[in-house]
Amino acid sequence: MTTVAPAARSLAGNLPRRRWSATRSLSYGFSALAAGFVVVLAVLFVWQSIPAWRHEGLGFLPGKKWFYPQEQFGALAMIYGTVIVSLIALLLAAPIGIGAAIFSAEFIPRRLQLAVKVLIELLAGIPSVVYGLLGILFLRDWIYRALTPFDPLSGDTLLTAGILLAVMILPTVMTLCDDALRGVPSAQRQAARGLGLTQTEVVLSVCLPQAARGMVAAVLLALGRALGEAIAVFLVVGRQDNQWPANPFSLRPLIESGQTLTSKLASSETNIAYGDPLHWAAIVGLGLVLLAMTVTVTLVGTQLMRPREGHA
Amino acid sequence: MRRFKHHVFRFATGACVVLACGVLVLIVLAIAMRGLPAISWQFFTEQIRLVGADGGIFYNLVGTFILIGTAFIVSAPIAVGLALVHGVYLRERRHRERLTLLLYLLNGVPSILFGLLGLIVFVKFFGLGKSWLSGGVLLGMLILPTVTIALIERIASLPGKYVEAAAGLGLTQSQIIWSVILPQSLSGLVTGSLLGLAHAAGETAPIMFTATIFAGATFPHAIKESPVLSLPYHIFILAQDSFDPAVGAKLWGTALTLLGLVLLLSLVALPLRLKIHEEAHHG
Repeated sequence: MTTVAPAARSLAGNLPRRRWSATRSLSYGFSALAAGFVVVLAVLFVWQSIPAWRHEGLGFLPGKKWFYPQEQFGALAMIYGTVIVSLIALLLAAPIGIGAAIFSAEFIPRRLQLAVKVLIELLAGIPSVVYGLLGILFLRDWIYRALTPFDPLSGDTLLTAGILLAVMILPTVMTLCDDALRGVPSAQRQAARGLGLTQTEVVLSVCLPQAARGMVAAVLLALGRALGEAIAVFLVVGRQDNQWPANPFSLRPLIESGQTLTSKLASSETNIAYGDPLHWAAIVGLGLVLLAMTVTVTLVGTQLMRPREGHA
Repeated sequence: MRRFKHHVFRFATGACVVLACGVLVLIVLAIAMRGLPAISWQFFTEQIRLVGADGGIFYNLVGTFILIGTAFIVSAPIAVGLALVHGVYLRERRHRERLTLLLYLLNGVPSILFGLLGLIVFVKFFGLGKSWLSGGVLLGMLILPTVTIALIERIASLPGKYVEAAAGLGLTQSQIIWSVILPQSLSGLVTGSLLGLAHAAGETAPIMFTATIFAGATFPHAIKESPVLSLPYHIFILAQDSFDPAVGAKLWGTALTLLGLVLLLSLVALPLRLKIHEEAHHG
Protein backbone atom coordinates (compact mmCIF):
# COMPACT_ATOMS: atom_id res chain seq x y z
CA MET A 1 0.00 0.00 0.00
CA THR A 2 2.42 2.59 -1.15
CA THR A 3 0.85 5.93 -1.81
CA VAL A 4 2.73 8.66 -3.51
CA ALA A 5 1.11 12.06 -3.63
CA PRO A 6 1.71 14.50 -6.42
CA ALA A 7 3.28 17.77 -5.25
CA ALA A 8 0.05 18.64 -3.48
CA ARG A 9 -1.50 22.06 -3.86
CA SER A 10 -2.00 24.24 -0.81
CA LEU A 11 -5.09 26.17 0.19
CA ALA A 12 -2.92 28.69 2.01
CA GLY A 13 -3.24 31.32 -0.68
CA ASN A 14 -7.04 31.35 -0.49
CA LEU A 15 -7.29 31.70 3.26
CA PRO A 16 -7.30 34.80 5.42
CA ARG A 17 -4.07 34.93 7.47
CA ARG A 18 -3.84 35.08 11.20
CA ARG A 19 -0.82 34.93 13.41
CA TRP A 20 -2.07 32.88 16.34
CA SER A 21 -4.99 30.55 16.87
CA ALA A 22 -5.71 27.52 19.01
CA THR A 23 -6.21 25.41 15.89
CA ARG A 24 -2.85 26.44 14.55
CA SER A 25 -1.06 25.67 17.83
CA LEU A 26 -2.76 22.28 18.03
CA SER A 27 -1.80 21.42 14.47
CA TYR A 28 1.81 22.39 15.00
CA GLY A 29 1.82 20.61 18.36
CA PHE A 30 0.70 17.30 16.88
CA SER A 31 3.09 17.71 13.96
CA ALA A 32 5.90 18.26 16.45
CA LEU A 33 5.01 14.89 17.99
CA ALA A 34 5.53 13.21 14.63
CA ALA A 35 8.78 15.04 13.97
CA GLY A 36 9.92 14.26 17.51
CA PHE A 37 9.24 10.58 16.94
CA VAL A 38 11.45 10.53 13.84
CA VAL A 39 14.23 12.39 15.66
CA VAL A 40 14.03 10.07 18.69
CA LEU A 41 14.15 7.08 16.36
CA ALA A 42 17.32 8.25 14.64
CA VAL A 43 19.05 9.47 17.80
CA LEU A 44 18.26 6.33 19.81
CA PHE A 45 19.66 3.98 17.19
CA VAL A 46 22.90 5.95 17.01
CA TRP A 47 23.22 6.51 20.76
CA GLN A 48 22.37 2.99 21.91
CA SER A 49 24.78 1.41 19.44
CA ILE A 50 27.80 3.49 20.51
CA PRO A 51 29.34 0.77 22.75
CA ALA A 52 29.41 -1.62 19.80
CA TRP A 53 31.23 0.90 17.59
CA ARG A 54 33.67 1.52 20.46
CA HIS A 55 34.26 -2.19 20.87
CA GLU A 56 34.56 -3.20 17.23
CA GLY A 57 35.37 0.12 15.58
CA LEU A 58 34.47 0.29 11.92
CA GLY A 59 35.30 -3.42 11.88
CA PHE A 60 31.70 -3.91 12.97
CA LEU A 61 30.62 -3.62 9.34
CA PRO A 62 33.13 -5.90 7.56
CA GLY A 63 33.46 -8.25 10.55
CA LYS A 64 32.57 -11.76 9.45
CA LYS A 65 32.14 -13.37 12.84
CA TRP A 66 29.12 -12.96 15.11
CA PHE A 67 29.49 -14.95 18.30
CA TYR A 68 28.16 -13.13 21.32
CA PRO A 69 29.45 -15.38 24.14
CA GLN A 70 32.96 -14.34 23.06
CA GLU A 71 31.92 -10.75 22.38
CA GLN A 72 32.61 -10.98 18.69
CA PHE A 73 30.23 -8.81 16.72
CA GLY A 74 30.55 -8.57 12.95
CA ALA A 75 27.63 -7.64 10.73
CA LEU A 76 28.97 -8.69 7.34
CA ALA A 77 27.28 -12.09 7.02
CA MET A 78 23.92 -10.53 7.86
CA ILE A 79 24.41 -7.59 5.51
CA TYR A 80 25.31 -10.15 2.83
CA GLY A 81 22.14 -12.13 3.59
CA THR A 82 19.95 -9.03 3.41
CA VAL A 83 21.50 -7.86 0.13
CA ILE A 84 21.34 -11.28 -1.55
CA VAL A 85 17.77 -11.99 -0.49
CA SER A 86 16.60 -8.56 -1.67
CA LEU A 87 18.48 -8.87 -4.96
CA ILE A 88 16.86 -12.23 -5.72
CA ALA A 89 13.48 -10.70 -4.92
CA LEU A 90 14.16 -7.74 -7.18
CA LEU A 91 15.49 -9.81 -10.09
CA LEU A 92 12.32 -11.88 -10.05
CA ALA A 93 9.74 -9.23 -9.22
CA ALA A 94 10.98 -6.30 -11.33
CA PRO A 95 10.65 -7.84 -14.83
CA ILE A 96 7.32 -9.48 -14.08
CA GLY A 97 5.95 -6.42 -12.31
CA ILE A 98 7.08 -4.04 -15.04
CA GLY A 99 5.73 -6.32 -17.78
CA ALA A 100 2.42 -6.63 -16.00
CA ALA A 101 2.24 -2.86 -15.47
CA ILE A 102 2.91 -2.23 -19.18
CA PHE A 103 0.14 -4.61 -20.21
CA SER A 104 -2.39 -3.26 -17.76
CA ALA A 105 -1.60 0.40 -18.46
CA GLU A 106 -1.28 0.22 -22.24
CA PHE A 107 -3.10 -2.77 -23.68
CA ILE A 108 -6.36 -3.25 -21.84
CA PRO A 109 -9.58 -1.22 -21.69
CA ARG A 110 -10.06 1.31 -18.89
CA ARG A 111 -12.67 -0.59 -16.90
CA LEU A 112 -10.58 -3.72 -16.82
CA GLN A 113 -7.54 -1.62 -15.90
CA LEU A 114 -9.35 -0.44 -12.82
CA ALA A 115 -10.29 -4.00 -11.88
CA VAL A 116 -6.68 -5.20 -12.16
CA LYS A 117 -5.46 -2.21 -10.16
CA VAL A 118 -7.98 -2.79 -7.39
CA LEU A 119 -7.13 -6.50 -7.25
CA ILE A 120 -3.40 -5.81 -7.05
CA GLU A 121 -3.77 -3.14 -4.38
CA LEU A 122 -5.92 -5.44 -2.29
CA LEU A 123 -3.34 -8.18 -2.60
CA ALA A 124 -0.60 -5.74 -1.61
CA GLY A 125 -2.24 -5.78 1.79
CA ILE A 126 -1.77 -9.49 2.55
CA PRO A 127 0.07 -9.53 5.91
CA SER A 128 3.69 -10.67 5.85
CA VAL A 129 3.08 -13.33 8.50
CA VAL A 130 0.59 -14.97 6.12
CA TYR A 131 3.26 -15.04 3.40
CA GLY A 132 5.61 -16.52 5.98
CA LEU A 133 3.11 -19.26 6.76
CA LEU A 134 2.74 -20.12 3.08
CA GLY A 135 6.52 -20.09 2.76
CA ILE A 136 6.95 -22.47 5.66
CA LEU A 137 4.22 -24.90 4.60
CA PHE A 138 4.60 -24.89 0.79
CA LEU A 139 7.52 -23.00 -0.68
CA ARG A 140 10.10 -24.57 1.62
CA ASP A 141 9.16 -28.09 0.53
CA TRP A 142 8.98 -27.17 -3.15
CA ILE A 143 12.41 -25.61 -3.03
CA TYR A 144 13.82 -28.60 -1.18
CA ARG A 145 12.45 -30.99 -3.80
CA ALA A 146 13.54 -28.82 -6.71
CA LEU A 147 17.05 -28.58 -5.31
CA THR A 148 17.49 -32.27 -4.56
CA PRO A 149 20.11 -32.70 -7.34
CA PHE A 150 22.29 -30.14 -5.51
CA ASP A 151 21.92 -31.91 -2.18
CA PRO A 152 20.68 -29.05 0.03
CA LEU A 153 20.58 -29.42 3.83
CA SER A 154 17.04 -28.09 4.08
CA GLY A 155 14.44 -26.01 2.27
CA ASP A 156 15.28 -22.99 4.44
CA THR A 157 17.61 -21.09 2.13
CA LEU A 158 18.41 -17.58 1.02
CA LEU A 159 16.77 -18.52 -2.29
CA THR A 160 13.52 -19.47 -0.53
CA ALA A 161 13.44 -16.14 1.28
CA GLY A 162 14.21 -14.30 -1.97
CA ILE A 163 11.40 -15.98 -3.89
CA LEU A 164 8.93 -15.34 -1.08
CA LEU A 165 9.96 -11.68 -0.95
CA ALA A 166 9.58 -11.45 -4.74
CA VAL A 167 5.92 -12.43 -4.46
CA MET A 168 5.49 -9.96 -1.61
CA ILE A 169 6.91 -6.93 -3.43
CA LEU A 170 5.35 -7.77 -6.81
CA PRO A 171 2.18 -5.72 -6.15
CA THR A 172 4.27 -2.70 -5.11
CA VAL A 173 6.37 -2.82 -8.27
CA MET A 174 3.32 -3.33 -10.43
CA THR A 175 1.06 -0.65 -9.02
CA LEU A 176 3.76 2.06 -8.85
CA CYS A 177 4.99 1.32 -12.41
CA ASP A 178 1.39 1.45 -13.54
CA ASP A 179 1.09 4.92 -11.96
CA ALA A 180 4.27 6.03 -13.73
CA LEU A 181 3.02 4.86 -17.13
CA ARG A 182 -0.32 6.53 -16.63
CA GLY A 183 1.46 9.79 -15.91
CA VAL A 184 2.49 9.92 -19.59
CA PRO A 185 -0.02 12.19 -21.39
CA SER A 186 -2.24 10.25 -23.79
CA ALA A 187 -1.89 12.99 -26.42
CA GLN A 188 1.69 11.81 -26.93
CA ARG A 189 0.53 8.25 -27.49
CA GLN A 190 -2.02 9.41 -30.03
CA ALA A 191 0.57 11.56 -31.81
CA ALA A 192 2.97 8.62 -32.03
CA ARG A 193 0.19 6.34 -33.25
CA GLY A 194 -0.64 8.96 -35.85
CA LEU A 195 2.92 8.69 -37.15
CA GLY A 196 2.20 5.04 -37.93
CA LEU A 197 3.95 3.37 -34.98
CA THR A 198 2.51 0.13 -33.67
CA GLN A 199 1.26 0.11 -30.08
CA THR A 200 4.39 -1.72 -29.00
CA GLU A 201 6.62 0.85 -30.68
CA VAL A 202 4.68 3.60 -28.95
CA VAL A 203 5.23 1.93 -25.59
CA LEU A 204 8.92 1.31 -26.18
CA SER A 205 9.87 4.63 -27.73
CA VAL A 206 7.43 7.09 -26.14
CA CYS A 207 5.94 5.78 -22.89
CA LEU A 208 8.85 3.89 -21.35
CA PRO A 209 11.46 6.64 -21.75
CA GLN A 210 9.11 9.15 -20.14
CA ALA A 211 8.05 6.83 -17.34
CA ALA A 212 11.57 5.53 -16.73
CA ARG A 213 12.27 7.71 -13.70
CA GLY A 214 9.03 6.74 -12.06
CA MET A 215 9.64 3.08 -12.77
CA VAL A 216 13.13 3.14 -11.30
CA ALA A 217 11.63 4.84 -8.27
CA ALA A 218 8.99 2.10 -8.05
CA VAL A 219 11.65 -0.59 -8.07
CA LEU A 220 13.66 1.26 -5.42
CA LEU A 221 10.67 1.65 -3.12
CA ALA A 222 9.97 -2.06 -3.53
CA LEU A 223 13.62 -2.73 -2.71
CA GLY A 224 13.19 -0.69 0.45
CA ARG A 225 10.33 -2.93 1.42
CA ALA A 226 12.31 -6.07 0.68
CA LEU A 227 15.30 -4.90 2.74
CA GLY A 228 13.13 -4.22 5.77
CA GLU A 229 10.82 -7.23 5.68
CA ALA A 230 11.36 -9.24 8.84
CA ILE A 231 8.67 -11.76 9.63
CA ALA A 232 8.29 -13.67 6.37
CA VAL A 233 12.06 -13.84 5.89
CA PHE A 234 12.56 -14.93 9.49
CA LEU A 235 10.33 -17.95 8.94
CA VAL A 236 12.08 -19.34 5.85
CA VAL A 237 15.68 -18.12 5.80
CA GLY A 238 17.09 -20.74 8.19
CA ARG A 239 18.70 -18.17 10.52
CA GLN A 240 22.17 -19.66 10.32
CA ASP A 241 24.83 -17.28 11.63
CA ASN A 242 28.23 -16.62 10.09
CA GLN A 243 27.40 -17.76 6.58
CA TRP A 244 30.03 -15.75 4.74
CA PRO A 245 30.92 -17.63 1.55
CA ALA A 246 34.57 -18.32 0.73
CA ASN A 247 33.85 -17.11 -2.78
CA PRO A 248 31.28 -14.30 -2.68
CA PHE A 249 30.44 -14.78 -6.37
CA SER A 250 29.56 -18.46 -6.20
CA LEU A 251 25.90 -19.44 -6.29
CA ARG A 252 26.21 -22.18 -3.70
CA PRO A 253 25.37 -19.93 -0.68
CA LEU A 254 22.00 -19.21 -2.26
CA ILE A 255 20.83 -22.73 -1.53
CA GLU A 256 22.13 -22.72 2.01
CA SER A 257 20.62 -21.23 5.13
CA GLY A 258 21.58 -17.71 6.04
CA GLN A 259 20.79 -14.83 8.30
CA THR A 260 19.58 -11.37 7.38
CA LEU A 261 19.69 -8.20 9.47
CA THR A 262 15.94 -8.38 9.97
CA SER A 263 15.79 -12.08 10.84
CA LYS A 264 18.48 -11.48 13.47
CA LEU A 265 16.58 -8.56 14.95
CA ALA A 266 13.32 -10.53 15.05
CA SER A 267 14.94 -13.47 16.84
CA SER A 268 14.89 -14.10 20.56
CA GLU A 269 18.49 -12.88 20.73
CA THR A 270 17.04 -9.36 20.87
CA ASN A 271 15.38 -10.21 24.21
CA ILE A 272 18.48 -11.96 25.53
CA ALA A 273 20.77 -9.12 24.53
CA TYR A 274 19.12 -6.44 26.62
CA GLY A 275 20.87 -7.53 29.80
CA ASP A 276 24.36 -7.03 28.37
CA PRO A 277 25.15 -3.46 27.24
CA LEU A 278 27.68 -4.51 24.61
CA HIS A 279 25.53 -7.26 23.11
CA TRP A 280 22.55 -4.90 23.11
CA ALA A 281 24.58 -2.18 21.41
CA ALA A 282 25.58 -4.67 18.72
CA ILE A 283 21.92 -5.60 18.11
CA VAL A 284 20.94 -1.93 17.90
CA GLY A 285 23.94 -1.44 15.61
CA LEU A 286 22.43 -3.96 13.21
CA GLY A 287 19.22 -1.94 13.37
CA LEU A 288 21.18 1.22 12.56
CA VAL A 289 22.77 -0.44 9.52
CA LEU A 290 19.33 -1.55 8.33
CA LEU A 291 17.94 1.93 8.94
CA ALA A 292 20.75 3.51 6.93
CA MET A 293 20.16 1.11 4.02
CA THR A 294 16.41 1.63 3.86
CA VAL A 295 16.59 5.40 4.35
CA THR A 296 19.10 5.70 1.49
CA VAL A 297 16.98 3.63 -0.87
CA THR A 298 13.79 5.48 0.11
CA LEU A 299 15.45 8.89 -0.28
CA VAL A 300 16.72 8.13 -3.78
CA GLY A 301 13.38 6.57 -4.69
CA THR A 302 11.25 9.51 -3.55
CA GLN A 303 13.56 12.05 -5.19
CA LEU A 304 13.11 10.20 -8.50
CA MET A 305 9.38 9.93 -7.96
CA ARG A 306 8.99 13.70 -7.90
CA PRO A 307 8.06 15.23 -11.24
CA ARG A 308 10.95 17.09 -12.81
CA GLU A 309 10.94 20.90 -12.57
CA GLY A 310 8.62 22.53 -15.05
CA HIS A 311 6.96 19.25 -15.90
CA ALA A 312 4.23 19.17 -13.30
CA MET B 1 7.62 -8.07 -38.95
CA ARG B 2 6.59 -5.05 -36.88
CA ARG B 3 3.13 -6.51 -36.33
CA PHE B 4 4.76 -9.75 -35.27
CA LYS B 5 6.97 -7.96 -32.77
CA HIS B 6 3.91 -6.19 -31.43
CA HIS B 7 2.10 -9.47 -30.89
CA VAL B 8 5.07 -11.05 -29.17
CA PHE B 9 5.46 -8.04 -26.87
CA ARG B 10 1.78 -7.96 -26.06
CA PHE B 11 1.74 -11.66 -25.35
CA ALA B 12 4.81 -11.47 -23.10
CA THR B 13 3.49 -8.59 -21.01
CA GLY B 14 0.07 -10.21 -20.89
CA ALA B 15 1.66 -13.35 -19.52
CA CYS B 16 3.22 -11.21 -16.76
CA VAL B 17 -0.24 -9.96 -15.74
CA VAL B 18 -1.64 -13.46 -15.71
CA LEU B 19 1.33 -14.71 -13.70
CA ALA B 20 1.21 -11.84 -11.18
CA CYS B 21 -2.54 -11.87 -10.65
CA GLY B 22 -2.60 -15.67 -10.80
CA VAL B 23 -0.03 -16.19 -8.06
CA LEU B 24 -1.73 -13.72 -5.79
CA VAL B 25 -5.22 -15.07 -6.37
CA LEU B 26 -3.95 -18.60 -5.82
CA ILE B 27 -2.53 -17.52 -2.47
CA VAL B 28 -5.89 -16.20 -1.34
CA LEU B 29 -7.67 -19.32 -2.62
CA ALA B 30 -5.19 -21.66 -0.90
CA ILE B 31 -5.73 -19.94 2.43
CA ALA B 32 -9.50 -19.84 1.97
CA MET B 33 -9.72 -23.56 1.10
CA ARG B 34 -7.65 -24.64 4.05
CA GLY B 35 -9.01 -22.12 6.49
CA LEU B 36 -12.73 -22.49 5.88
CA PRO B 37 -13.16 -25.88 7.60
CA ALA B 38 -11.86 -24.40 10.86
CA ILE B 39 -14.22 -21.43 10.81
CA SER B 40 -17.26 -21.73 13.02
CA TRP B 41 -19.05 -19.56 15.55
CA GLN B 42 -17.20 -21.27 18.39
CA PHE B 43 -13.89 -20.49 16.68
CA PHE B 44 -14.55 -16.79 17.19
CA THR B 45 -16.07 -16.99 20.67
CA GLU B 46 -13.89 -19.50 22.54
CA GLN B 47 -10.42 -19.01 23.88
CA ILE B 48 -7.32 -21.00 22.95
CA ARG B 49 -6.91 -24.42 24.49
CA LEU B 50 -4.15 -27.06 24.24
CA VAL B 51 -1.54 -24.60 22.89
CA GLY B 52 -3.60 -23.72 19.85
CA ALA B 53 -4.76 -27.23 18.98
CA ASP B 54 -8.26 -26.68 20.30
CA GLY B 55 -10.66 -23.89 21.10
CA GLY B 56 -10.87 -20.59 19.29
CA ILE B 57 -9.29 -17.21 18.88
CA PHE B 58 -11.64 -14.92 20.80
CA TYR B 59 -8.98 -13.09 22.80
CA ASN B 60 -6.71 -12.88 19.75
CA LEU B 61 -9.48 -10.99 17.94
CA VAL B 62 -10.06 -8.81 21.00
CA GLY B 63 -6.34 -8.06 21.24
CA THR B 64 -6.00 -7.17 17.58
CA PHE B 65 -9.01 -4.84 17.79
CA ILE B 66 -7.60 -3.17 20.91
CA LEU B 67 -4.27 -2.65 19.16
CA ILE B 68 -5.69 -1.19 15.94
CA GLY B 69 -8.25 0.85 17.88
CA THR B 70 -5.42 2.43 19.85
CA ALA B 71 -3.44 2.92 16.64
CA PHE B 72 -6.39 4.83 15.18
CA ILE B 73 -6.75 7.06 18.24
CA VAL B 74 -3.03 7.82 18.17
CA SER B 75 -2.66 8.40 14.44
CA ALA B 76 -5.84 10.37 13.65
CA PRO B 77 -5.13 13.63 15.56
CA ILE B 78 -1.47 13.66 14.52
CA ALA B 79 -2.45 13.05 10.89
CA VAL B 80 -5.00 15.88 10.98
CA GLY B 81 -2.42 18.21 12.51
CA LEU B 82 0.18 17.33 9.90
CA ALA B 83 -2.28 17.63 7.03
CA LEU B 84 -3.45 21.06 8.21
CA VAL B 85 0.11 22.27 8.61
CA HIS B 86 0.80 21.00 5.09
CA GLY B 87 -2.34 22.24 3.39
CA VAL B 88 -3.12 25.43 5.29
CA TYR B 89 -0.29 26.84 7.36
CA LEU B 90 2.86 26.22 5.35
CA ARG B 91 3.02 28.84 2.67
CA GLU B 92 6.23 27.86 0.98
CA ARG B 93 6.34 24.92 -1.38
CA ARG B 94 9.82 24.05 -0.14
CA HIS B 95 8.60 23.56 3.42
CA ARG B 96 5.66 21.46 2.31
CA GLU B 97 7.99 19.23 0.32
CA ARG B 98 10.16 18.76 3.38
CA LEU B 99 7.15 17.64 5.36
CA THR B 100 6.13 15.07 2.75
CA LEU B 101 9.72 13.84 2.57
CA LEU B 102 9.61 13.28 6.34
CA LEU B 103 6.47 11.21 5.85
CA TYR B 104 8.04 9.11 3.08
CA LEU B 105 11.09 8.47 5.24
CA LEU B 106 8.91 7.38 8.15
CA ASN B 107 6.99 5.18 5.71
CA GLY B 108 10.27 3.57 4.66
CA VAL B 109 11.40 2.64 8.16
CA PRO B 110 11.21 -1.18 8.49
CA SER B 111 8.53 -2.30 10.93
CA ILE B 112 10.98 -4.41 12.95
CA LEU B 113 12.78 -1.17 13.89
CA PHE B 114 9.53 0.16 15.36
CA GLY B 115 9.57 -2.96 17.52
CA LEU B 116 13.15 -2.35 18.60
CA LEU B 117 12.41 1.30 19.34
CA GLY B 118 9.37 0.28 21.37
CA LEU B 119 11.46 -2.18 23.34
CA ILE B 120 13.93 0.57 24.25
CA VAL B 121 11.46 3.36 24.95
CA PHE B 122 8.24 1.82 26.23
CA VAL B 123 9.18 -1.58 27.60
CA LYS B 124 12.45 -0.63 29.29
CA PHE B 125 12.73 3.17 29.64
CA PHE B 126 9.11 3.82 30.67
CA GLY B 127 9.05 0.42 32.36
CA LEU B 128 5.70 -0.56 30.86
CA GLY B 129 6.73 -4.15 30.19
CA LYS B 130 4.62 -5.69 27.48
CA SER B 131 1.60 -3.47 27.13
CA TRP B 132 -1.23 -3.02 24.64
CA LEU B 133 -0.62 0.72 24.85
CA SER B 134 2.98 0.49 23.55
CA GLY B 135 1.82 -1.72 20.68
CA GLY B 136 -1.02 0.63 19.81
CA VAL B 137 1.22 3.71 19.84
CA LEU B 138 3.86 1.98 17.68
CA LEU B 139 1.27 0.80 15.17
CA GLY B 140 -0.21 4.30 15.17
CA MET B 141 3.15 5.80 14.21
CA LEU B 142 3.67 3.04 11.66
CA ILE B 143 0.47 3.92 9.79
CA LEU B 144 0.81 7.68 10.26
CA PRO B 145 2.25 8.26 6.73
CA THR B 146 -0.59 6.34 5.05
CA VAL B 147 -3.28 8.24 6.95
CA THR B 148 -1.62 11.63 6.56
CA ILE B 149 -0.94 11.30 2.84
CA ALA B 150 -4.54 10.29 2.13
CA LEU B 151 -5.69 13.33 4.09
CA ILE B 152 -3.22 15.67 2.37
CA GLU B 153 -4.40 14.47 -1.04
CA ARG B 154 -8.00 15.02 -0.03
CA ILE B 155 -7.40 18.54 1.27
CA ALA B 156 -5.42 19.42 -1.85
CA SER B 157 -8.32 18.29 -4.03
CA LEU B 158 -10.89 20.51 -2.28
CA PRO B 159 -12.23 23.08 -4.73
CA GLY B 160 -10.72 26.48 -3.97
CA LYS B 161 -14.13 28.11 -4.27
CA TYR B 162 -15.30 26.47 -1.01
CA VAL B 163 -12.61 28.24 0.91
CA GLU B 164 -13.06 31.48 -1.00
CA ALA B 165 -16.81 31.47 -0.35
CA ALA B 166 -16.24 30.90 3.36
CA ALA B 167 -13.64 33.65 3.48
CA GLY B 168 -16.07 35.90 1.64
CA LEU B 169 -18.60 35.35 4.41
CA GLY B 170 -16.07 36.75 6.83
CA LEU B 171 -15.09 33.52 8.58
CA THR B 172 -11.72 33.47 10.27
CA GLN B 173 -9.02 30.99 9.28
CA SER B 174 -9.83 28.65 12.19
CA GLN B 175 -13.56 28.82 11.50
CA ILE B 176 -12.95 27.87 7.88
CA ILE B 177 -10.83 24.92 8.99
CA TRP B 178 -13.43 23.61 11.42
CA SER B 179 -16.54 24.27 9.36
CA VAL B 180 -15.34 23.75 5.79
CA ILE B 181 -11.98 22.03 5.39
CA LEU B 182 -12.23 19.34 8.06
CA PRO B 183 -15.82 18.21 7.36
CA GLN B 184 -15.12 18.18 3.62
CA SER B 185 -11.97 16.10 4.00
CA LEU B 186 -13.41 13.59 6.47
CA SER B 187 -13.52 10.98 3.70
CA GLY B 188 -9.74 11.28 3.33
CA LEU B 189 -9.25 10.58 7.02
CA VAL B 190 -11.61 7.60 6.90
CA THR B 191 -10.01 6.06 3.81
CA GLY B 192 -6.48 6.61 5.02
CA SER B 193 -7.30 5.20 8.44
CA LEU B 194 -8.99 2.10 7.03
CA LEU B 195 -6.01 1.38 4.78
CA GLY B 196 -3.64 2.07 7.64
CA LEU B 197 -5.55 -0.14 10.05
CA ALA B 198 -5.63 -2.96 7.48
CA HIS B 199 -1.85 -2.70 7.43
CA ALA B 200 -1.58 -2.44 11.22
CA ALA B 201 -3.81 -5.46 11.85
CA GLY B 202 -1.40 -7.74 10.00
CA GLU B 203 1.88 -6.44 11.45
CA THR B 204 3.82 -8.76 13.74
CA ALA B 205 7.25 -7.17 14.04
CA PRO B 206 6.36 -3.98 15.95
CA ILE B 207 4.30 -5.79 18.58
CA MET B 208 6.22 -9.02 19.16
CA PHE B 209 8.61 -7.51 21.71
CA THR B 210 6.34 -4.83 23.03
CA ALA B 211 2.68 -5.76 23.27
CA THR B 212 1.66 -9.30 22.53
CA ILE B 213 2.08 -12.78 23.96
CA PHE B 214 0.99 -16.19 22.75
CA ALA B 215 -1.31 -17.34 25.53
CA GLY B 216 -2.66 -16.37 28.91
CA ALA B 217 -3.95 -12.85 28.36
CA THR B 218 -7.58 -11.75 28.36
CA PHE B 219 -8.92 -8.20 28.50
CA PRO B 220 -6.21 -5.83 29.72
CA HIS B 221 -7.02 -4.28 33.11
CA ALA B 222 -4.18 -1.81 33.31
CA ILE B 223 -1.46 -0.26 31.18
CA LYS B 224 1.67 -1.60 32.84
CA GLU B 225 2.50 -5.26 32.18
CA SER B 226 -0.75 -5.80 30.31
CA PRO B 227 -0.10 -7.66 27.09
CA VAL B 228 -2.84 -8.82 24.76
CA LEU B 229 -3.10 -11.78 22.40
CA SER B 230 -3.20 -11.01 18.70
CA LEU B 231 -3.92 -12.72 15.41
CA PRO B 232 -0.58 -12.19 13.63
CA TYR B 233 1.55 -13.25 16.59
CA HIS B 234 -0.60 -16.36 17.02
CA ILE B 235 0.13 -17.35 13.42
CA PHE B 236 3.80 -16.43 13.81
CA ILE B 237 4.29 -18.72 16.80
CA LEU B 238 2.19 -21.64 15.56
CA ALA B 239 3.80 -21.51 12.10
CA GLN B 240 7.12 -22.38 13.67
CA ASP B 241 5.97 -25.76 14.98
CA SER B 242 2.93 -26.70 13.00
CA PHE B 243 3.43 -30.44 12.74
CA ASP B 244 0.33 -31.33 14.75
CA PRO B 245 -2.57 -31.55 12.22
CA ALA B 246 -5.04 -30.22 14.81
CA VAL B 247 -2.87 -27.13 15.22
CA GLY B 248 -2.60 -26.90 11.44
CA ALA B 249 -6.36 -26.63 10.97
CA LYS B 250 -6.64 -23.88 13.60
CA LEU B 251 -3.62 -22.16 12.12
CA TRP B 252 -5.20 -21.89 8.66
CA GLY B 253 -8.43 -20.75 10.26
CA THR B 254 -6.56 -17.95 12.04
CA ALA B 255 -4.73 -16.99 8.83
CA LEU B 256 -8.04 -16.84 6.95
CA THR B 257 -9.57 -14.70 9.70
CA LEU B 258 -6.67 -12.26 9.61
CA LEU B 259 -6.71 -12.14 5.82
CA GLY B 260 -10.47 -11.59 5.86
CA LEU B 261 -10.13 -8.74 8.35
CA VAL B 262 -7.38 -7.06 6.34
CA LEU B 263 -9.18 -7.41 3.00
CA LEU B 264 -12.46 -6.26 4.55
CA LEU B 265 -10.88 -3.07 5.90
CA SER B 266 -9.27 -2.30 2.53
CA LEU B 267 -12.48 -3.13 0.64
CA VAL B 268 -14.54 -0.77 2.79
CA ALA B 269 -12.05 1.97 1.94
CA LEU B 270 -12.29 1.25 -1.76
CA PRO B 271 -15.47 3.08 -2.89
CA LEU B 272 -14.43 6.23 -1.01
CA ARG B 273 -10.99 5.99 -2.54
CA LEU B 274 -12.29 5.68 -6.07
CA LYS B 275 -14.59 8.65 -5.46
CA ILE B 276 -11.68 10.77 -4.27
CA HIS B 277 -9.72 9.81 -7.37
CA GLU B 278 -12.63 10.76 -9.63
CA GLU B 279 -12.96 14.14 -7.93
CA ALA B 280 -9.25 14.76 -8.08
CA HIS B 281 -9.26 14.20 -11.83
CA HIS B 282 -12.52 15.91 -12.76
CA GLY B 283 -13.14 18.29 -9.85
